[in-house]
Amino acid sequence: MKKYIFSIALALVALVANAQIKKPGLMVVPSDVWCISNGYYTEVENMGITTKVPNYKQALQENMGLKLAIAKLNDLMAERQFPLQSMEQAIKNLEQQKMEDNMTVSKAGNELAESPLDEVARVAKCDIILELSWEMKDFGPKHSLSYILEARDAYTGKSIGAASGTGAPSLTADVDVLLEEAIVANMDNFNNRLMEHFTEMQTIGREITLDIKVFANNAAGVDLETEYNGVELIELIEEWLQLNTVQGRFTMPYASENVANFTQVRIPVYDERGRAIDANGFARQLAKHFKKEPFNIPCKVLVKGLGRAVIIIGEK
Amino acid sequence: MRKFLLSLLVVALCMPVMAGAKKKADRDTNQFRYEIECAGNAIQGTYLVKVWTYSRKAAVAENQCRKNAVHGVIFKGYGGGEGCVSQRPMASDPGVETQYRDYFNSFFADGGEFQKYASIMPGTTETVKVGREYKVGVVVSVRKDDLRRALEAAGIIRGLNSGF
Repeated sequence: MKKYIFSIALALVALVANAQIKKPGLMVVPSDVWCISNGYYTEVENMGITTKVPNYKQALQENMGLKLAIAKLNDLMAERQFPLQSMEQAIKNLEQQKMEDNMTVSKAGNELAESPLDEVARVAKCDIILELSWEMKDFGPKHSLSYILEARDAYTGKSIGAASGTGAPSLTADVDVLLEEAIVANMDNFNNRLMEHFTEMQTIGREITLDIKVFANNAAGVDLETEYNGVELIELIEEWLQLNTVQGRFTMPYASENVANFTQVRIPVYDERGRAIDANGFARQLAKHFKKEPFNIPCKVLVKGLGRAVIIIGEK
Repeated sequence: MRKFLLSLLVVALCMPVMAGAKKKADRDTNQFRYEIECAGNAIQGTYLVKVWTYSRKAAVAENQCRKNAVHGVIFKGYGGGEGCVSQRPMASDPGVETQYRDYFNSFFADGGEFQKYASIMPGTTETVKVGREYKVGVVVSVRKDDLRRALEAAGIIRGLNSGF
């Protein structure tokens, strides 16, 4: 009897532990405006247009203020049990990955499939990007610092919240002192917005983006307009989403026979077994549904992190 | 013997007056009649606020400033300007004050826990006579990080990390 009770207690503990929502990863990056205005960029020619692309590595290696700001933000977030992911480490991992994938990467560097920020975010697997910028302004002998910290969902691109302001003019010319002051003063307001986002996520579900694509000339001979009992596949997918999203919340900004994009898809945070799910888990449920009878559609789910998933149908 | 009886009489006569003053102070401050504003950028983990408290007695108002400062940080928040950053109230749900009435009655009682989180900055008192009462302004340093942690531990407010 004792063993039986102990097993039930253990199972309950495991269930509660599993019922925790996956904690989003946060990473601080300098904003494009800050990088470009401080000279930390490289010029890339893409289809005849010269574009300035932020050089994060150079910024981290050469700007002490940036290092200090990141350290301060990390300190304040760690105090709220939310340590940040290191951008420096993410860049190192990215370089390592690039070295490994060197054969497949274009050496000309003129075709950017991903922006440098996307690359870093992908490698760091961060969910929320904290974009930081600041600027010193002079008022005669006095100096003032304008500061912006904006949180953005790394996958949906949606702005979560921002804290900004201009400090009181001061005779202190030390940008590091003024920057630290601005970070400390604005952090609580910023965290309030993050908190609202987390609460929203816990009540109306996690927002994800879901892309459905079709393998060209696939062996199964299916596309999104293929009919099953007189209903097109895209309609069946919409029906499934209607039933399986929180309050049927999703939008479909674009759909053709080969591609369908679903945005603002609110997925439940737990599945029916009480386990936390993310975009990848949700996409796998959808893929599983269409792999079964009467559809028997081969599907491939691509892992894109917590907030974005891609399902390619037609082949495995 | 006479002296002793006289002293006893004086004490007995003073007691209701003292009790009345105490009641008056409680009545003045229980309503949390105050204004709160930013008093500058504080060191990490604290807020520097100026609290203006109203009372018929200037001393009573000054004594209650710490209580009002903590109350303001939890329930009111304050505006910014001139380099000061405005802060929202720590309790984002305005209903928590009535929902946790017992907790806050004990928290804000005379000698209550609120004292741990506020300290008056010396030499900052300003007194203004407004009609028949006094408006006393004092700069108070509120240990907001410790205060937030205590409220999170008591389940009054949610931590950033809660639910994960």
